[in-house]
Amino acid sequence: MEGPQKEGYRDLGIVIRVGIDLVAGTLLGTLLGYLLDRALGTKPWLMVVGIFLGTIAGFRNIFRYLNDLENKRN
Amino acid sequence: MGNPLEHFELHRLIPISLFGIDISINEAVVMMWIVVLIVFGLFWLASRRIQIIPGRLQNMAEYWLELLQTYILEGNMGKEEGRTFLPFLGCLFLFIFFCNLLGLVPGAYTATSQVMVTGTLAVLVYFICLSVGFAKHGLGFFKVFVPPGVPLWLLPFVVPIEIVSQLARPFSLALRLFANMTAGHTVLAVLFGFVIVLKFYIGWLPFVFILGMDAFEIFIALIQAYIFTLLAAIYLGEVIHLHA
Repeated sequence: MEGPQKEGYRDLGIVIRVGIDLVAGTLLGTLLGYLLDRALGTKPWLMVVGIFLGTIAGFRNIFRYLNDLENKRN
Repeated sequence: MGNPLEHFELHRLIPISLFGIDISINEAVVMMWIVVLIVFGLFWLASRRIQIIPGRLQNMAEYWLELLQTYILEGNMGKEEGRTFLPFLGCLFLFIFFCNLLGLVPGAYTATSQVMVTGTLAVLVYFICLSVGFAKHGLGFFKVFVPPGVPLWLLPFVVPIEIVSQLARPFSLALRLFANMTAGHTVLAVLFGFVIVLKFYIGWLPFVFILGMDAFEIFIALIQAYIFTLLAAIYLGEVIHLHA
């Protein structure tokens, strides 16, 4: 495979990766918060914290990933 | 018209219970055995008589592994490490690819449409990442939770975010493979339902659609196996070259 074609395959990887990463962060944060709530009996506060943390973490993962990609290109 | 999610149901073929844990043999387990047999058989045949001028099978096997090594492993992990992890990631790729592909055979079960299967694979990858990280960096590996250049007063906020974002990786790995396989097969099942309901006069229309979707699903089977292996290689590479 030559240069541009290889780049195309990598871009496909980005498209597939970014969407799920965003959802996964939020889902995981919510789930962790919910489970901690159930274990500690602090409904619903840890879940609220978990949603925020998870959303930020999902964005953070994507941000870091795209940043790395940008650095690699230049 | 039947339930389009019906073919994802598992049935206990041979009920086994060990210490109260249900480890019955079901369709997914049988499919995974078949996949392991096929991959093992294919590569056993390919490597039975290794020659300098490769035969057809040996050529195919070499082509797959070389492709994996150049485009996934060396680019993301470095030359030396890529060679070390080729057996593991090569197995992972072939296993997922054949699981996805054999699931498209009518009547066969798609093992990767079970979140337990993809979850186990993702957790396995993540545990290997952790072991490699601790073996390579010792306790310095905890630095993954502290990004470089963060002021001290921000750490109480940043560290929990980093922990969740680390945990989100195996989660998203498992979710992506599972969701893609389940979604694709559900669409196929719904379209097949249309063909049966609409009879001959207009039933050919969804049938043509199915042919296209089937080709697309073969493509998805390859792409998802590729993405899973690629991400495993990226995570392993990040663990090996910490904050580099």
